[in-house]
Amino acid sequence: MSKFKKGGKRGIPAVNTSALPDIIFMLLFFFMVATTMKEVEMKVEIKKPIANQATPIEDKDNVDFIYIGYPIDAAEGTEPRIQLDDRLAPDVTSVGDWKKSKVRAGKRVLDIVTSLKVDKKVGMRIVSDVKEELRDVDALKINYSADISK
Amino acid sequence: MARREIGEINAGSMADIAFLLLIFFLVTTTMEVDAGIGRQLPVKLDINLPPPPPVNERNVLKILANKNDQLLVEESFVKMEDLYDIVMKFYTVNKSGERDINMPLYEPITKEKCRAEITKLQADLVKSPDNTSLPGEIAKWEEKSALVDEVGVYSEIHKSAVIQLKNQAGTSYGLYMEVQNILKQVVNELRVIECEKHDFPDYYTLREDRPEDMVYINMLRILVPERILESKIEN
Repeated sequence: MSKFKKGGKRGIPAVNTSALPDIIFMLLFFFMVATTMKEVEMKVEIKKPIANQATPIEDKDNVDFIYIGYPIDAAEGTEPRIQLDDRLAPDVTSVGDWKKSKVRAGKRVLDIVTSLKVDKKVGMRIVSDVKEELRDVDALKINYSADISK
Repeated sequence: MARREIGEINAGSMADIAFLLLIFFLVTTTMEVDAGIGRQLPVKLDINLPPPPPVNERNVLKILANKNDQLLVEESFVKMEDLYDIVMKFYTVNKSGERDINMPLYEPITKEKCRAEITKLQADLVKSPDNTSLPGEIAKWEEKSALVDEVGVYSEIHKSAVIQLKNQAGTSYGLYMEVQNILKQVVNELRVIECEKHDFPDYYTLREDRPEDMVYINMLRILVPERILESKIEN
């Protein structure tokens, strides 16, 4: 007889599951990457101005965003409004308290950049008021958000 | 009874599909780049300071943007295209000698001048130790002295030269940003020239979070100071 066993009836090999942990890792990496996208529900409409001297913001973890624009919901009026996180601010004085509440461990208010995303048609009055509020709480680093090119 | 042959599922290509999904999201989620022009707001001083000393008109460039989105520079209407030239002129016209009497003067900074100023300020500090602004002034002159060591004698714009921006309540933010962009552009371009002149690394590669870059950034801030004063909105 041959030294080699003939194949005969081969047992069915089980499903090779060695790739499954790889898929789990991949999902993990996906979420690690995808969660740097901050999805804030916009309550105001903002068309950013274009400024070719704008520089990209590197450290998004140390940036707070203030959105100023015309409300999407017509019930909120036709005046430009301030959106902090995902709520419309009743008036400009709540900016100071909000900024103080955004304190991060180990950093002074002075170190956190406040990015102002403002629609290009908004009048300067509300922007100036927001800046004065930020000065009052010593949040002196600001960044005027703009697109580098169209 | 023979078991039914269960087909072998080839699980090897599941990993490939997962890779594709991952790469797809990697590519699409980096599309949004947040960019902007950074600024530092002036500190709010709550003590009543004595009124600042009168500043010579020639050292102030007044830019007013009214609610009709028109620009007035030194009380005459100006088109946005011409603003760049005016600001550039403000910064450079008198750099190699007085050419325009309405624009700020430049002054050469030498090692002797730095030393003289530091000695004078230190004497003042002894006389009035409570003056809190003096140590800051001394530090600034020491920085200038270090700069002279690095680049040699350099020309500095008058210390009270400033660009004064005034807006009205109805001025559009878009116009304000165009002005900010032009001011930033002038400063950036002049700093690039200084970088090339003194063999600094490429200006656009300097990053504030790297300490070795901050040395150059601080020197550039003395060579080409960004002096913008924004007044509160009046009406």
